[in-house]
Amino acid sequence: MQPTRISSTLQLCILLAVFPARRIDAHASEQSLVLLLPTDIYTGAGVAAVAATVVLLAFLPAGTMAHLYQPLAVTRMSLRLLKPYTSLAAFGLLAVLVWAGLHGPRDPLSNPLPLFVWTIFWIGFITLQATLGDLWAYLNPWTGPVWLIHRFLRPRPPARLPPELGYGLGIVAFLAFAWLLLADPAPSDPDRLARYVATYWLFTFALTLIYGPRWLRRCEGFGLMARAYARLAVFGRRRGGLHAGAPGWQILHKRPFPLGPSLLIILLLGTGSFDGLNETFWWLGLIGLNPLEFPGRSAVVWHSAIGLLISNAALIGVMAVTVTLGLRLIGDRTGIAQGLRLFAPSILPIALGYHIAHYLPTFLVDGQYALVALSDPFLSGADYLGLGAHYVTTGFFNTTGTVRIIFLTQASAVVLGHVLAVMLAHAIAVRRFGSSRRAALSQAPLALFMIGYTLFGLWLLAAPRF
Amino acid sequence: MTKPTTRRTALKTLAAGTAAASLPLWARYTHAQTAAPIKIGFQQHATGIGAAYGRWYGRTTDAAAALINEGGGINGRPVEIVAEDDGTDPKRGAEVVEKFATQHGCDVGFGTLFSHVVIGSAPRAGELKLPYFVVSEGHHVASGMLNRYTLQPGITDVKSQVQAMAPYVHASLGKKVTMIFPDFAFGHDHRDYFSAAMEAQGGEILAKIAIPPTETSFTKYFPKIPRDTEVLYHVMVGPAVLTFVKELGEFFGPSAPAIFGFIDSLEAVDIRSPGLEFLEGSYFWEGNPRYAQADQSEHDAFYRERVGVDANGASVTDPTDISTYAHMFGCWETLHVIKAGMEASGYAGPGDRAALIEAVEAMTDMPHSRAHPQGAKVFNGKTHQVFGHQYISRVEGGRLNVVHTTSIEDTLYPDEVDYTTMPL
Repeated sequence: MQPTRISSTLQLCILLAVFPARRIDAHASEQSLVLLLPTDIYTGAGVAAVAATVVLLAFLPAGTMAHLYQPLAVTRMSLRLLKPYTSLAAFGLLAVLVWAGLHGPRDPLSNPLPLFVWTIFWIGFITLQATLGDLWAYLNPWTGPVWLIHRFLRPRPPARLPPELGYGLGIVAFLAFAWLLLADPAPSDPDRLARYVATYWLFTFALTLIYGPRWLRRCEGFGLMARAYARLAVFGRRRGGLHAGAPGWQILHKRPFPLGPSLLIILLLGTGSFDGLNETFWWLGLIGLNPLEFPGRSAVVWHSAIGLLISNAALIGVMAVTVTLGLRLIGDRTGIAQGLRLFAPSILPIALGYHIAHYLPTFLVDGQYALVALSDPFLSGADYLGLGAHYVTTGFFNTTGTVRIIFLTQASAVVLGHVLAVMLAHAIAVRRFGSSRRAALSQAPLALFMIGYTLFGLWLLAAPRF
Repeated sequence: MTKPTTRRTALKTLAAGTAAASLPLWARYTHAQTAAPIKIGFQQHATGIGAAYGRWYGRTTDAAAALINEGGGINGRPVEIVAEDDGTDPKRGAEVVEKFATQHGCDVGFGTLFSHVVIGSAPRAGELKLPYFVVSEGHHVASGMLNRYTLQPGITDVKSQVQAMAPYVHASLGKKVTMIFPDFAFGHDHRDYFSAAMEAQGGEILAKIAIPPTETSFTKYFPKIPRDTEVLYHVMVGPAVLTFVKELGEFFGPSAPAIFGFIDSLEAVDIRSPGLEFLEGSYFWEGNPRYAQADQSEHDAFYRERVGVDANGASVTDPTDISTYAHMFGCWETLHVIKAGMEASGYAGPGDRAALIEAVEAMTDMPHSRAHPQGAKVFNGKTHQVFGHQYISRVEGGRLNVVHTTSIEDTLYPDEVDYTTMPL
């Protein structure tokens, strides 16, 4: 069969060279309408709001920030004992989904697995995790099965995780996920995704049995991401009880993350930023492609992978420079690593804002597909949710009124994310350096960067893209 | 109103809906040698830049399959649509075709729209000898660049569409034309086919203005339009299309020349969108009229009802959800051609694939009917391409009214290939 494959590929190259695609997407509707909106005014207002926050904070009495981020006790009750069982249930669900991926409908918009992974988990769950609290602690699909093994077999982990690995493998795991999201040619293909999910679950499960729970804490990428985002949530545990406070209170009141998770936070924003940039005409121009005859993801695997790495490396560099520069401005000699540990968590709200803004349109459409698939997971004709014959609609991308609402919601998420980030960074600085003035000075480079990033984020939303 | 058909309800129909015909499933298909379904691999643009088309192609395909199954399936066997996403990606397209043939046991492949995906997939279909029915409009089938296993019997090609516009434009709108088109293959096809056809009519192309594909502001190009232009022919596409029309309106004001475009620019876009007011009084090619016309055929009414599209070309459950009405009928008609071909050849399984190709090649007239709601067609077995009527509509009061229907003869051109001489 090999020669025919080669000849097929060769023919494809020749044909594409002499006869490029003639048709383009007509689903330009939403972005067409966005291009007619006064996005310059919206962008100006958004950037001004973030800049005003920066100025305002400099004049705020130092005690105000501490007061603002003071959490309130909610309850001493704990559901901790439920964790193994909820985790087992999550594992069971995952197993069913993997089975559905392998044996269910081939269409990614009918098969429950891709809809669950990309719509419910990646868009929905991550947003809940970052706003409500550490749901992952209950729903991660490994702790339950590992607990079960330990409960009945009581094995001793045969090996000790080399401490010099730190969080490196967890970061690699996250980057592998980012690669799947942004560069893999077919991340929604049910069969392909099922194999990825099953392989990663088995790999992590086996390594957790070998190295013990430390593997889950340090080397499992989703857990790292989830725990990072949970620091931003309203609810969190403190002194044995459940507390609630302004988004970010946990960052101020808990021990700073080690360097690994701090870097991962920057990667969350870097990846989220590239996931958006890679759809713009600007990016396609940069890699020499015509957006109106985009040749598909398989043609840009390496461009996307390299773009992802460059975006993340650049953001780490900028963060290191702005944070360090700010510290030096007030004569503080804290090292780069320590500076990043302190201030990287302050960009979590920006990462979340980008996440919500970028995925809102997708969620509005694929959420409908997910509901339909939930009602009839195996195309058996079932209708568990009683939806009737539901037609998925994208009509809200077709009217100015709805497109404006969607755009402003996205823009608000980006702006609010930056406002919260500026406040949080200032609060961290006040806590560390005492006076509001010193804190403001130490934050000046980072704050300028955040104002610039607001402009970038709003430009991304309004830019022509395919 | 008929209950809307989705892929899920299509299957329900397959499983239980036959009760309406007062026969249980086992009895309904007993005259077939086997009740195993005929599997039609549907290469769907579920993701990627073709997703908006893919959604409506899926909806039309499901409705057609449900109808065929209600009528007893094909050769007494139910039809099963196996939808695979190709990501609107040529490389994946070829992989999907291979999956149809080797993994899913499909009898045929069907439904590809985007030209680059067709061109990427067709060679693999030819190698695997999998009948591959595309719904793409591209001239690539009739140009002879593909193979004997690739056919386009359910939708006309761009060359015939464009050249068929010239007689009407010349006779009714004006003889001096300026063309504005995006500067890549899609726009070049229009430039070449239309200018040749217009000159054959005795008309004149005054200027050909190519716009870079990434352009988002157009005012600097409009002064290039010669002052004695009588007709402006535009085929702009992409996210800047509303901006293009808005700026064109601002440039010309009320003293514009006649304006003619292809609905591809505004497929799935509401004609009453802001900025499009300027299009009032302008003309569009339509593959199938989006708005139900005063003389609507019973076949179009039936087709709309089954697909779940209202008289304005929108989804019956959401009037703002505009369909890709000018193109998606191709899926419906192609499935009916597959049915007719399988019945004519007595198709029983993959061993009869060659006979199926020959049966479709032998087809000629396809009368206006429920199977062909867009209009009558003539199939050319040598070039594997169907020819049919084209519609020219005028924007009046924010809707498209058909002002001219071309003859099929207007759309014909000399054969460029004879696939029947190639081995099966």
